[in-house]
Amino acid sequence: MQKIPLMLAKAGMILAREVYRSDNSSGAPICGKDTVLSDALIARLENMDVQTVYVEGNLCGDEGGRSLEDMLAELDRRFSKVRSNPLSEILHDIYSDYLKRSMGDGGGR
Amino acid sequence: MDDKRGELKKLIMDTKTLPTLPGVIVKLNSLADNDRASVQEMAKIVSSDQVLSARILRLANSPSYGFYRVSTISNAMILLGVNVVKSLALSSSIFEIMEKNSVGLWEHSLGVGVAANLLAKKLNLPECEEISTAALLHDLGKVIISLKCEEAEKRIGALIREQELYTSEAEREVLDTDHSEIGGWLAKSWFLPDKLSEPIACHHNVELSENHRIKTSVVHVADVLIKASGFGDSGDPYVPQIQQAAWDTLGLSRELLTEIVDDLEDKLVEVKNFSLELLGDS
Repeated sequence: MQKIPLMLAKAGMILAREVYRSDNSSGAPICGKDTVLSDALIARLENMDVQTVYVEGNLCGDEGGRSLEDMLAELDRRFSKVRSNPLSEILHDIYSDYLKRSMGDGGGR
Repeated sequence: MDDKRGELKKLIMDTKTLPTLPGVIVKLNSLADNDRASVQEMAKIVSSDQVLSARILRLANSPSYGFYRVSTISNAMILLGVNVVKSLALSSSIFEIMEKNSVGLWEHSLGVGVAANLLAKKLNLPECEEISTAALLHDLGKVIISLKCEEAEKRIGALIREQELYTSEAEREVLDTDHSEIGGWLAKSWFLPDKLSEPIACHHNVELSENHRIKTSVVHVADVLIKASGFGDSGDPYVPQIQQAAWDTLGLSRELLTEIVDDLEDKLVEVKNFSLELLGDS
């Protein structure tokens, strides 16, 4: 599963999570999980100002194909110079928690 | 040593060799000093340059400001303030270079703009738009270095890779100054107000800022957040330390940062959208 900007969505992709209106994310979903995207559907989502969708698989470019482990390793590399600093360590923890949460099944709205 | 720095400063201040400053700015400056000038009058001047207007509107509609569908220059002036529109007009030629030649830096700048805007709103700070603008412009110096000192830029890049330095450290090694100082010079030479030039000049050392420590702290933290997130490419592979002075000035906490990171990551996908659209246009 991957969160992508609607700009990169293409017909044939399958929604991995329900889509909500951007101005009312706690309301009813406007498009169900497992729906196969079509050009017409993408255009309608665009009209409704939807910015991002979750799709199945890792389909797009450089963001795709990276597992949680890869992303955590990259995070560690970026922070490698400041791990001994307590404030920076807080930020590191926040990001590593964020990655674990968002790559898991819980998030999405 | 001092000579190299002095020479560079002269080179940068020599506006003739800089990307052209629109004549519109001169007119705008003289109007802005005049108390009786109305926003409409100023908007009319900017609107007379269509390319410039288009660029300003594009930035005004970027996720960095959180307004959408700003469709006229006078709306942009009212929503963003005259100062902001003026600095966007000034930097529009710089942005043009950034969009084309260093997409990574452009995305980094937009990202820091978004992060600063989120921070400012969450902390209920005044002048959110000014803060976003300073954040959008914070790496101005890097663009100038890449424009004016190509050779040096290559050496800086090599130093960062080989010796694992921060960009600012490598810049000081090669140029005897760094992009934040250079950005500050440029902002001053454009007569941007202190509240924009100080955060640009001090975003790597918050303690240097005297009059606008809060704005400077926001830009510093926003820069760190975007580097932590790995969004865009500032040229710096390493996250810098969050400075204690900035943390204290803003009264940050783990809880607050967690909320901000959640909101930020959501918004960054929009930024990606925005920058893809821009690239698609050109």
